[in-house]
Formats: sequence, structure tokens, C-alpha cells
Amino acid sequence: MSKSNDVKIITKKELDNFVNSLIKEKKFDVVGVKSKGERFVYGNIESSDQLRLDYDVTILPPKKYFLPQYEKLISFDLKNPLKSKNNLDTSERIIIGMHPYDIIALEQADIVYLDSQQDDFYKKRRENTIIIGVDIQNVSDRSFAESMGTNVTKSGFDLLLTKIAGRYAVTIGSKKGSNLLDKYAETKKAEKADIEKIKQERDKIAKSYKKEVKIKGIDDWSKLLSANYNNAIWEEKSDKCLECSSCTMVCPTCYCYDVKDNVSLNLENGERIRTWDGCLLRDFTEVSGGEVFRESIRDRYRHRFYRKGNYLPSRYGFIACVGCGRCGTACLPDIADPCDLINDLSVFGGKDDPNKFFIKKKSKSQEEGIIHVPRSATIKQVEKETENETFFKLKLDDGKPLNHEPGQFVEVSVFGVGEAPFGISSAPDNTPIFDIVVRKVGDVTSKLVKMKKGDKIGIRGPLGHGFDMKSFEGKHLLLASGGTGVIPMRSVIQYLTNPKNRKKYKDVTILYGCKEPSQMLFSHELEDWKKCPDVECTLTVDQCPEGECWDGNVGLITTLFPKIKLDEYDSENTIAIVIGPPVMYKFVIKCLQTLGIPDKNIWVSLERRMKCGVGKCGHCQINGVYCCKEGPVFNYEKIKELPEAFE
Amino acid sequence: MKPKVAFFDFASCEGCQLQIANLEEEILDLIKIVDVVSFREVMKEHSDEYDISFIEGSIMRPMDEERLKKIRNRSKTLVAFGACACIGGVNKIRNQWSSEEVKKEVYGNSNLEDNKYFDVYQTKAVNEIVPVDYYIRGCPPSREEIKKVITALALGKKPDIPNYPVCVECKKNENICLFELGKFCLGPITRAGCNAICPTNGEPCDGCRGILKKPQVQCVMDVLKRYDLTYEEMKRRALLYNYNEEDEK
Repeated sequence: MSKSNDVKIITKKELDNFVNSLIKEKKFDVVGVKSKGERFVYGNIESSDQLRLDYDVTILPPKKYFLPQYEKLISFDLKNPLKSKNNLDTSERIIIGMHPYDIIALEQADIVYLDSQQDDFYKKRRENTIIIGVDIQNVSDRSFAESMGTNVTKSGFDLLLTKIAGRYAVTIGSKKGSNLLDKYAETKKAEKADIEKIKQERDKIAKSYKKEVKIKGIDDWSKLLSANYNNAIWEEKSDKCLECSSCTMVCPTCYCYDVKDNVSLNLENGERIRTWDGCLLRDFTEVSGGEVFRESIRDRYRHRFYRKGNYLPSRYGFIACVGCGRCGTACLPDIADPCDLINDLSVFGGKDDPNKFFIKKKSKSQEEGIIHVPRSATIKQVEKETENETFFKLKLDDGKPLNHEPGQFVEVSVFGVGEAPFGISSAPDNTPIFDIVVRKVGDVTSKLVKMKKGDKIGIRGPLGHGFDMKSFEGKHLLLASGGTGVIPMRSVIQYLTNPKNRKKYKDVTILYGCKEPSQMLFSHELEDWKKCPDVECTLTVDQCPEGECWDGNVGLITTLFPKIKLDEYDSENTIAIVIGPPVMYKFVIKCLQTLGIPDKNIWVSLERRMKCGVGKCGHCQINGVYCCKEGPVFNYEKIKELPEAFE
Repeated sequence: MKPKVAFFDFASCEGCQLQIANLEEEILDLIKIVDVVSFREVMKEHSDEYDISFIEGSIMRPMDEERLKKIRNRSKTLVAFGACACIGGVNKIRNQWSSEEVKKEVYGNSNLEDNKYFDVYQTKAVNEIVPVDYYIRGCPPSREEIKKVITALALGKKPDIPNYPVCVECKKNENICLFELGKFCLGPITRAGCNAICPTNGEPCDGCRGILKKPQVQCVMDVLKRYDLTYEEMKRRALLYNYNEEDEK
């Protein structure tokens, strides 16, 4: 961004000429604000006459030009899907008429989408777009931008127009903007009086806001929300919620998305489409097993405000609300307006959040490069493990090692059906070969279990944070897995039982429980694990139906803990790892605490709807934490107070 | 092996099947992936051997019920096709009156006794008689969605029918909200998947794809008040496709 705040003056007639020559050039896709009935929208303009720089607010924000409502990420041929194409939009666009609050919202989206693991599609569009902003001339009834400090901006535009006495002042924001002006417009230098006039105009408009948010600044928003997580207001207001998610659709700072595969009627071609999603919708957090992690509308309603006023502020340093007022207009029962909500809440006061959540830095082993296009992999081995689970050995076709940590996951693509996340089930071994185990629960998994040796699939990853095995060296390890939790746990177990690593750790206690003997995974490997020096493996089943053979423990996994001899247990020097279904954590952790294992020594891996795997799509958020990015592996002490984590 | 597909109609206008006939040249793609073995509206051949059945229309008579059960027994997958099949639709409006009253109103004093074709009872949706595997909603269903469901079934995946309201699609289309224009629209509580075709063309949503979730009474009252609308306007619109005995009690 250029530092120069050079200002030029352009007459209304010359401005029209400028716009019309941009259109005539046919080099750019020229977009401007125009009327639609009584409202306004961004759309392609054919002449400067259509431009309505006096608009109050548009129905949708200009985010649709950077993250379109429906966007083709890749297209593929179903017979040869791994030759899939990345569909980068390379058209050059000029957007005329962005208000400061929308420019600020776009700068926020930059932070999210150009953060580590950049979104290539967003980036390309951003690079190819010239922003010509305009200072607000008419304030929307619902806007409270002035009290948010978003009614004016000093950055984020290439050019910024301010109407002063029938002419326009053009503030130059970038070299790109300056060049455009030089090439296509007749301007003259601004006088000192003109600069003064810009300020006067802005001040005049600033006084015409009807709405004002009483709590100002990022810290006070955050404190207010932190103090009122359990306030009755969430229930009261959300009782009226229609769950239509209009508030998130029209919001310039809501950019969560979903991704789906569409297939042509002749089943020959397909496309992977990204589309807007909203956290007010029930299915937003649903995983393919059917679990919904934010079931009550109160929690979803609250989540939206916390994301705006607490989660994104802690993560990126901005309030994800720019006071445009669009949600207030769009929400039929009128409960979505952050200004009203914050003002209503303000009487309850705020306080510092003692449990500020943490954000990890990117780990080395997270994948670099284009985030939406999977790598090709070949199925090397398929074996039915149990009635419901199938084991797969996969090999990356580029021959590069996966380089994962135990606990990390991959997104597996079955083209035409979609993507699903799977915990990596084998230990890292510097080869392109790794294992996953698939339980048939949804579309992707149903298709996967029908695939054969030699079939091709797509892989993105490794994703997320795994277990830092190095930091556990010299310790005892207690590994508790329930049900399919043993799938990612196998990666840890293989690592620890590898002769190269075995001596670096003290003894290993493996506790593994499942419903019935027939559902026990890796049954052929359990014996090998037991044979390793100083490795003990105890199994349990919830029940043993008649006709099945079982000589081990019967009872929930918690019944195995009393058998661990407390006095022999060096709990301070024990690391416990727990992976299982959501319901298991509470009880197992209590057992670990009874053994005297400190919370800081307990590690868990949580399941959520991990869709993009790179902290963008929003589905896996546990409170403000992205399960896919900060997790799925967490230190228990750090998240035990995190609302939504173990509820 | 291509799955064998059959289309059947019950009480309906057959407009849903017409949507398939209207696929025009795309029908050639369709028959590449499925074998259509019965489709009265476009072919004269018929076979009782099929994997997937599409049921159009609502169920009005004991003889319909019997026929539907037979179809269910023969089908691996049964798809309720269109509003009448999925929710009873327009045909349910008459459930406000008894069958006797309706017969009298329509046929006057004609003697219809012992005539099985007129042996009507209260209108039912398909799932009130037999289990339904998938629903293609709408009056009529959108061709895009029909294609989506058929390709999903041919690929062996669950058809992706939205579980959110029309507002989501309407907002993506950047329409002016019809409430702002003083019209009562059922979009906020009606299942999406139609790409908000009615609101996008300036007409309020009539709820033909079925109500997702009934809103709280207080919410409805607030909305009506905010936009200066009457309870009667709402009621009229809700009745068209979503008559529900429970609401009347």
C-alpha cells in the first residue's frame, strides 16, 4: 500500500468519462453499485449513468466478488479424476463504490484468507481487483459504522472518491490506482481547501447516524462477551430465531463455506463447488456419524456473536463486525443486529476472560501449497477389519513421504462424492505409504469401502496438529482408546513400539475398549504390541453377546483403571493420551485424575466437522478454537475450561 | 448394471413427471445411466421389475394404498416425487372437510356408493402409508434437483437435499426481501433446494417444499407486526401446501 495520500479533484462529468472509458476498454469487468428497486446491489455496469454513488447500503456486500456464492474449485473427469483442474478466476475487475466499512471488511477477509495456508482462489481475485471506494453520502437507517470507527478508512482502496460540492476528491491509495487515474481520467491537483472539505463532508455524514453501539473497541467487546456467556439473553433472543441464516449470508465478515461435489447427468464429469454456509444452520456442525456439535439454537445464535466479538478478535485482532447494519435489515424477527445485542448486554458489564484460548503456530508438517487440490494416491491394500471398519494402505503417487505426526489427519477425496477427514493410523516412517481405517457412516465412506486395490483417491494433508512425541520422551505412557479412537491411537502405538523408539520412553500401558468382541480393531496386531518390552495391553468390551468368545474384561473402559496399581504408579511422570467418542472423555479423564495424573500431562484428540482442514470454512470451531488447525490433538489443561469442548 | 427406474402417479396433476419429460435432449444422458422401465406419460411399455420407484401424487383411496404397498415391496429404493407425494400438498387442503362433505360439494347428489373410484378418505402423503427413502420436493420439483438426485442414486450416494430454508438461497440471489415489499413469504421456514425460484421472480414462497421447523408463536407475531401483515395472510399462504390437522385443533 502506497503511503502517499495524494488527492486529486475530478468533476462529475470527468468522473463519468473515467468510468465510461474503463467500460469501453473491455479489459476489465467493471462492477459498480446500482439500484435494484428501492435497494442497491453491486453488479456489472454498462454506463456511468447506472452508478449510484449516493446509495446507503447494498443488499449483499462485495464479498461475492472474492468468495462467490457458488465457486467451482476444481473440475474433473470421473474416469480420470486425478487430472483435476484448478479453476482460478483470472479476470481483471474494477469495483466502483465500496463504502469504507466494506473496504475494512475486505481487509479482514484478507487476514483470514491470506493467513498461513493461503486460499489461492481468494488471492488471485484479490490481486486482480482494483478497488475504487466512495465515502458514504447517505447513511443507512440500520448502520452504526460511525460508532464502530468503520465509517471512514485510510487504507484498503486503490482510489477513494469523496463528494465535495458537486465534484469529487479522489484520494489515491495505491500505485495501481494512481496509474489507472493517470491513464483514463482528467484530474487536477487538490487545493488545501479541498482537503479541508473532505474532512468537513465526512464529519457532516458522521453526525447523521441514528444507531450507536455503546461499547466501543475490541477489548471491551471481548470483555463484555466473556462475562456473559451464560446470560439469559441468548435464550430469550434465540427463542425468536427462524434459523434462516440470513444474517450470515448478508454479512461482509461472515465467510464460512461448505464444499460439495456435483456430477453431470451422464456421470462423466464433475465439479467441486464451494458455497456460502452459515453457523446458524443446524447442519453446520454435523459430522457424518450424525453427531451435531451445536445442537441448540441458543448456542448457534450465541456462536455468531462470539465469533464476531471474541473469537476472531483474539485470533486476528479485529472485531468481525463493521456496523453496516445489513443483518438488522435482513433478520425478520430483528434479533441479529450486533448493535442492539451489545447495547442490551452492556447493562450487565464485562470482565477479563481468564480462559483466553490459545492459538498455536503453524506446525512444520502442515502441508504447503494449493489448499483445495488433492494429491493423487493409490490404494495398495484393502482389508475388512470388522463388520463396519475397513483397513486401507495408501501410497502417495508423487512418491513423497506424508511426513505426518501421530494424531494428524488427512482429507480423502472420492471424486464425485466428496471429501471426508480420517485420522492417520500408521506411524510416520519417511515413506509415501500410510494407513487409514474407514467406518462406513456417510457417502464418502460408503464409496470408499467398495473400492479395490489399485483404485485412485485424492489426499490433502497431513492436516492439523498431532502429538509431539519428542516431548513425551523419558515418560511412562498411558494410552486409553474407545471404539474407533484406536484408529489414530495406532499411530502412537506403532511409534512407541518401534524398536528405534522403544527405549526413549518408559513403560506403555494400552487400554482399549469397544462395544463387543467382534468390533475389536487391529485384533491381529494386539498380540505383537503385548510382546514389546515394557508394553502392557488390556482390553475390554462393554458386553459379550452369546455365541461370541471373549476371555478379557467385560465393562466400560473406566473399569480397567482400578486395576492399575496406584502405589506403583509414577503419575507425575506419566503422559496420558485419550482418544474416543465424545461421551468417553469426561469419565476417562476423571479416572486419570484419580490416578494422580496432572491435567497438563493429559492429551486428547477431539472429533468435529473438519471440512477444509485449514482453519477457513468454520465448521470445526469449538468456541473460538479451530479443531482442524489447533487440534485435533489438544492438551487437556489448556482446553478443559473451553466451552463446547467437552459439553 | 444400470438401475431400473419406474415412475408412478397417484392423485396429482402429473406435472412432476412432466419435469422429467422436459429434460428434453438430456433424457438421452438419463437413459445412459438408468433403464426406465415404466413411465406412463412418455412410453407405452411397462415392467413390474424395477429397483427405484418414483411416486408422484398423494394417496386418497384404499385402492391407492394397496397399489402403493405393492410398489414399495417391489422397489429397493422408493422416492417420493413432488409436493403431493412428499407432504400431501394441494390435495390436503380438502382435509379441512370430511370426505362426505367434499363428495357432496363436488358431485352433488350423484350416487357414488359402492364405486371404489370414489371411495376417498382424508388425503395422505406417501410416507403416511409406506417408508420413503428419499424425497424430491417441490411443486413441481426443479429439474436441477431431479438430476442431482438421479445422479446421486446412480453413484450410490445419498442425495444432497438442503436442510435449510429458502432464505439461504434467496439471499445468495441478492433478492429484495419480499417482507420489505409488504408480502408474506414462507421462505424463512420452507426447505430450500429450489434456488428460491419464486422470490427471485418476485412471488412469495408458498412452502411447496414443506415446512422445516415451525417458528415460535412470539416470533411470528413480531414479524407480522414489524411488516404490518395480518395473521390471515399468513394462514392463507401456509394452507396451500402445508395443511396440517394438528394446527387446526
